[in-house]
Order: sequence, then C-alpha cells, then structure tokens
Amino acid sequence: MRLIVNGASHEVAAPDHERLLTTLRDRLHLTGTKLVCGRGECGACTVLLDGAPAYACLTLTAACHGREVSTIEGLAQDGELHPVQQAFIDHDALQCGFCTPGQILAAVGLLDRQPHPSEDDVRRGMSGNLCRCGTYPKIVRAVLAAAEGGAGNG
Amino acid sequence: MAKRFVTTKVEVEGREETKVVELPTREPEPWGVDASLHIVGRRDKRMDALEKVTGEAEYTADVQLPGMLYVALARASVAAGKMQSLDLAPALAMPGVRGAITMDDVPGIKLDGIQVFDRTIHYVYQPIAAICADTQEIAERAVRAIHPAIERLPHVLDAASALAPDAPRVKPHGNLHRASPRVASRGDIAAGLRDAEVTITREYRTPVALHTALEPHGAVAAWSGDRVTVWESTQGIFNTRSDLAEAFELPLSSVRVVKNYMGGGFGAKNGASLAAYTAVALSRKLRRPVRCIFDREGEQTDAGNRTATVQRVTLGARRDGTLTAISLDATIPLGIGGWLSSPARMYSEMYRCANVRTSETFVFTNTAPMASFRAPGNVEGAFGLESAMDVLAHELEMDPLELRRRNYADHDQDKNRRYSAKHLDECYRLGAERFGWSRARSRKRDTSARVRRGVGMASLAWGAGGGPPAYATVRINGDGSIEVLTGAQDLGTGARTVLAQVAAEVLGAKLDDVRTVLGDTERLPFASNSWGSITTASVGPAVRVAAEEARDALFEAAAGMLDTEPNELESRDSEIHAKSSDRCLLFREVCEKLGDVMIIGQGSRGPNPEKTALSAFGAQFAEVEVDVETGRVRVLRVVSAHDSGRIVNPTLAESQLEGGIIQGLGYALFEERILDSRTGVPLNPTMHDYKIPTIGDVPEIDAFFVDIPDTVANHTGVKGVAEPPIIATAPAIANAVADALGVEVAEIPMTPWRVLGSVRGGSIA
Ligand code: FES
Ligand code: FES
Repeated sequence: MRLIVNGASHEVAAPDHERLLTTLRDRLHLTGTKLVCGRGECGACTVLLDGAPAYACLTLTAACHGREVSTIEGLAQDGELHPVQQAFIDHDALQCGFCTPGQILAAVGLLDRQPHPSEDDVRRGMSGNLCRCGTYPKIVRAVLAAAEGGAGNG
Repeated sequence: MAKRFVTTKVEVEGREETKVVELPTREPEPWGVDASLHIVGRRDKRMDALEKVTGEAEYTADVQLPGMLYVALARASVAAGKMQSLDLAPALAMPGVRGAITMDDVPGIKLDGIQVFDRTIHYVYQPIAAICADTQEIAERAVRAIHPAIERLPHVLDAASALAPDAPRVKPHGNLHRASPRVASRGDIAAGLRDAEVTITREYRTPVALHTALEPHGAVAAWSGDRVTVWESTQGIFNTRSDLAEAFELPLSSVRVVKNYMGGGFGAKNGASLAAYTAVALSRKLRRPVRCIFDREGEQTDAGNRTATVQRVTLGARRDGTLTAISLDATIPLGIGGWLSSPARMYSEMYRCANVRTSETFVFTNTAPMASFRAPGNVEGAFGLESAMDVLAHELEMDPLELRRRNYADHDQDKNRRYSAKHLDECYRLGAERFGWSRARSRKRDTSARVRRGVGMASLAWGAGGGPPAYATVRINGDGSIEVLTGAQDLGTGARTVLAQVAAEVLGAKLDDVRTVLGDTERLPFASNSWGSITTASVGPAVRVAAEEARDALFEAAAGMLDTEPNELESRDSEIHAKSSDRCLLFREVCEKLGDVMIIGQGSRGPNPEKTALSAFGAQFAEVEVDVETGRVRVLRVVSAHDSGRIVNPTLAESQLEGGIIQGLGYALFEERILDSRTGVPLNPTMHDYKIPTIGDVPEIDAFFVDIPDTVANHTGVKGVAEPPIIATAPAIANAVADALGVEVAEIPMTPWRVLGSVRGGSIA
C-alpha cells in the first residue's frame, strides 16, 4: 500500500493490523513520533492525518492508504521552523522533550481549526496530551503566542 | 606538599555519605552577590530545544541498529509463589523468535535484592523470562504462548498484614527490614511533652505514587568482540556502567553506556535497569543488537514507586506557639525491596524544637519494589508534618504562617552545625506578599456555599548542596568553538544549558559558541548520577575550574600575539581585548594561529565546607475551591518561593519549579496505585486509570527564587532546584482544603469520594 508521509510517497508492506505508529517508527524510521501508552491515553503519538490530529497508536496503517500523514520531522519547511515549534523554544515549553512532538502537532492541529483560541480553548484543545515534566503553563503561553503570530493562518 | 585527596560529606536524597575527593588544581573565589556576571543568571533558551521540537533528539527507544532484535517480558500473575515449570518451547517454536533468557542465563544478578527472573515469585508483574524476536509484535505474541506452572503461596500486600503475628513470610528472615525500627531522637521527648501547654496527635496516610515518566525504562545493547555498548534511559551513566560491569564480570572499560536524551526519570532510573540486564544478556547470547523497552503496563507496575506511609504525629507547644515536642511513628511498606527513604527528616529538620523523637518501621510486602521518587521521604513527611502544624495553629488560634515563623530553625539541629545559608524567612515574606496571604486569610468563609474557597501554606527543606566527585573538561577547538565535556546527564532539567552558561561566563565566550557534551562513559570524565538535585551544584564548579584553566591558556597564547601580558587581557563575546590598548583578537583568530594546538582545561569539584549543612528551602501557598456536592477540588493558584542559592538560568529553573508543583498537585489530588486487595493485581496500570495532572488541572502558578548566592556552599553559589518544589505542594493544598471545609485532611489523594466523606463525616480519611 502507499503512504504519503511528509510529502513523500512510501510503499509499505504493513499487515492489516499494523498501527501507523509502528509503521512510522519501525519501518520508516521516523522516530520523532513517540510510543508512550499505546492506547490513546496520552497523545505522545499525535500526527496529522490529512491535517487533523490523530493518535498514531490507534490508527491502522491500512486505513491511511493514499492519505497525507504529517509527523514532527516534516513540520519545518525549507529549514524554517514552524511557528509553533519556534514558540515552544521561545517559551521553554519543553523539558525532557518526550511529549513535545505530540504536543506540537496537537497545537498545530488546534490552531488550524481555531486560529484565535482563548486560553480556555488551548487548555481544552491540548488536554489530550500529557506531560509528566509539567510544562503545561509554558505550553499554554507558547500556543497563545504562536496564535498571536498568525501560526494558524498559514 | 599539599594533600591531593581528602574526604568530604555529600548529601544525596537525604542520605549523607563520605566521599573521597581529589582537590581541584585551583579553588576560585566564590561568585558573591556583587560578582559581575553576564551569562550566569541570564534567561537563555534551552540549548537542546531544537532537537526536541524537530523530533531529532534520539531517545533510547529511537536507537535503530542493523539486525536489531526486540524483547518482550513474561511476567508473573500471582503475588507470591514458586514456579514449578517454565516451558519456553511454544514461544521458541514461533517463526521470528530468536531466543530467550531465564534466571539460568543471569545467575547471581540481582535487582533490589531479588534475583533477576527469579523462579520464586515475590509480586505480581515480576519478570520471569524474556523473549527475543525479529519484531516487537512477534516477541509479544510469543510471550502469550508461555504458560508457567506456578504454585501459589500466601502473600501480604500491606504493612498492617505484614506485621500481623502469623503473617506469611515475605523474606526468609521475616517481614521487617533489619533496620526497623529506625529511631532517632534529640533532647527528651517526655520532658517536651510535659512542657507542652497544647498537644495534638494525628494520623496521616499517603499513597503509593508512580513516577509515570513518559519514556519508560529501556535499553539497547550491542556487543562487539568482548565489549558491549549500552544505550539506556538512565539518570546515571557511570552507575549503570558499574552495575553492568559487575553483573557480567567485565572491566569497566569494556562497558560503554550512552544516554543522550531521556524522557524523564524522577528518581526511578538510577542504575542498570532490568531492561539493561536483559538486553545485554540476550545480545551476548544471540550476538545481535537487542532492544528491550518496558511497555506501559510494565512501567506502571514494576519500575519503582513512592512508598505509602502511615504517620502518627504528636506535636507539643506552648501557648505562644513555641514547639516543645515533635514525635513521629511512621510505617513504610517498601514492597519487596528498595532503600530506606526517610519521612522523619522533615520532622527533625524543619522547625526549631529541642525534643524530637522519630521512629520509622520499614516493612516488606509482596508488591513491586520502591524507588527514589523526586524528594523521596520529604514529600511524604511534609504532608504529615505540615498538616499537623496547621492543626496545631488552629488549636492555638494562630496564623499558620506565624506559627512556622516562630519556630524558625536557624541551624541544623540534628548535627548541631550551621547552614551554609538559609533564606527561608525571605521565602515566607515574599511568598506571603505575592500571594496576599493575610488578606486571603482574613476573608470570611461562606459555610453555606456549594463551592467553598480556602487557602493554605507549607514549608520545605531539601539537602541540595551537591558535592564531589565531578569532573569536567573544556576544549577550545581550532576555530574557536568550545566544548564542555562531562559525564553528567540532562533529564530535561536544563543541565546542558546551565553548564554551557557557566563555561561561557568564565571564558568570556558567546554562549552560542559553547556546546555541552553529556552522557557517554567512554568519552567523558566522571560525574555522578543526576539525582538529589545535585547536578548544577556538583558539576558547575568543576566546569568553572576547567573553563578557568582553558581561559588562562588562551590568554597566554593571545598575550604574545597582542604584545602584552595575560593579566592585561579580558574577554567578552568570544573576543579578547587588551585592557590598555584597543587591540583585540577573536578566539577564532588566536586558535587559528595556534594551528593544531588544542586548548584543554580540566576541572574538578572541590570538597564541601566542613561542619555545614547545605540545604535548599522554600514556602508554598495555595488557594483552592472545593465543591461540597461533588467533592471536587480545584486548585486556583499556587505561589512558590524558593531559596536555592544562585540561579544560573531563571527561565529553566522556573520551568522545573512549575513541573514539581504540578507533580505535587497530582500527588495531592489524583495519584494512587490501587491493588486488588485479594490478589495484589494492580488495578490501574494505565495512564487512563492512574491519573497524572493534565493541562486542564493546572492552576495559575507564580514560582520564583529569592536568588541569593550561597557562597559558603560552593564557589558558584548554586544549590539544587529539581526536588524542592514537589515537597510542599500536597500539604499546602490539603491545608487549603481543610481551610475551605473547616475539616481536617488526614489522607491523600483528596479524591472526590474522600472529600465527600469528610464533608459528611467531619474528617477526610
Ligand atoms: S501513545 Fe498513542 S496516545 Fe499514548
Ligand atoms: S517535557 Fe517531559 S513529558 Fe513533557
């Protein structure tokens, strides 16, 4: 089957029951997407599927035939960070960084849906992504700052 | 000749150890309050943030090696038993399965006192075998094909049943740890109680809490000849190396441990893990690289935990609030193993009191072994002590903050020695001011409202002075770029950044020109585990010395080129200026002229001051809202004031404070491992059922430092930051809930049903 990941097309021989997370990490060696709970409870495996956030651990690769998958590796364009990535750096919205790829993609998805979120919208929109280091206050700030900078309009 | 090796005391996780230390080549003047520093103290961005936001940071599970095999662990499903047979044939027969190991492959290798893959079963989820296969999926399927025959034996799951007269034996020698009870006292507790005009006695309970780092324990091992390279998610590469070298009978130089990035440790990753032993043993047996990563269930059930406690507390005081007696009887179930973290420390250190007696009983049970968890002991102890202090304040009709101030400990009473510095009073003052404590306290409580508000506070102390040994090398390359090399680790704490800041400060370099290289035992000089909040205070001074040595060499080279003397030079932004003329040279220009000469500075951490306690302090204030119909507690805001000496990077340090407070909030409100009381099976080993705080639970947080350098502690003036913030959060919140409801809180987490029970019954228990 064919999978389009970060704009590039891949032929993958994934069995029907294989999860997108396994395909990305173990077949395509795109290890930025993290496995944490493996059952839709933490958001660390968040990718964008045709632009909308999805948990790669709950998505079957077979269901992604011909669809666009964006992972953290494909977010920067021509060496320029995505404004959400830049905002995470600027506001120190990461500590160990393990939840960060999922947080960033969730934020990108949120701002696409809702370019001008309130603080409450950010809290609601990001509540599917856990962070044990407790970067949440900084994540709120980073996402609001990215929105301010027009991240959701691009 | 002056001595080269001396001994000194170093405190880690509440335990003080004597260490041999090699005296540094120089002992720089401390950076005092007036030191003119440009980069230390600056809010620079985290230097490894780019790798983290692009997904390029390589964590252990991201390591991919050609021909690598995957591991799944078979685990026990009973709390105590004897394995009669373990037939691996059905698993080994499956296509894609490459091999397996059991206890027989790792004879004598122990973790937490238990033989790895032991045939005797000590707790549910204990590993009993490891299966290795071409993919993770095949390995997991193969594990399901194993059906060990286990003879069940009677078990005990909690301290009370372990201590019952006819309890089944958890360990051959019994259920009490040999050190039990551990009793410590000063003064005369009976006299102190006689002197008391007011006495209170209460019992407090704290839960088993799980670290729940997002990255689980895991390792990748690859042998080459008779050497092995191990990537492990660890807080201590050198500890891991010695554990593995000892277990596999290898010289230290044949084991290389690498850890570039890790997804959190919080105390549970302090040496070689079961994953590392497994990967190394399987990789040796199969001659292929092997990756062993815990699944989430394994991580939540068998990767360490904070012990539960029962604390029976008596406080005695005079009417004016002066404490005359503090007594603690604590029971602490360790699980099947672990070490003796001490809730008693808070009781003996936090307040001035001549008569203190603490007794701690450590008990073995048929549950997974405990491990250090961010400020082990003090977090548990703070909940008991600080809750009791509020009860006492209430009895005395005294402001809780005032009671704490009246019992200010100005020296370390247990060891009768000074503190290197203590600015807790400033934390009280600034914290109370920023919180608006007196205004909030005097507000009338509406006892008929459905949603009630309350405020509370608590104090904290933590031995975070760090110490030797720690080494660092600073290298200036031919193009003027700079590397700081040290075998410390960055857990997400910011160590990479702050160590580079220290080096850049000393060298007068641009921070962007400096790179910190961590996490490789083969290439880097020794630094100890990143635990006990010690990294910056331990390694920072070594980096400073190394950078001074490098700077001196650089200046000597430049002096000739600028026709002046080295002491006539100064540097800024990677540029060297002659003070007396306007001549200058870039670091790059000096180094290019030197050709292949490499400027190298070596530094080590000197001894700690004698007869001095090195501690960080702080005070936290919380405001909560409690819905008396649903029992739901919402924390509205937390103000947290900290004295951790000089702060190298306030932004990163504040991030750590926030993280600690949020973990403390989880401990206060949600987090609790639950076992089936009959079988010992963990009932909430998932992230859905074991609740850590989400972004929606986070209050408004104002966390800050008084930022006064501690020049007695070490010459950088720094003390630790990581653990202090989690210590006071649960009691501050509990005291706020008690204030809101007018009933005491005796047990955490304050889940809705407990809160409702207390609203109805008068006490939360
Ligand atoms: S790993 Fe997919 S939601 Fe946790
Ligand atoms: S930054 Fe560590 S889990 Fe979020």
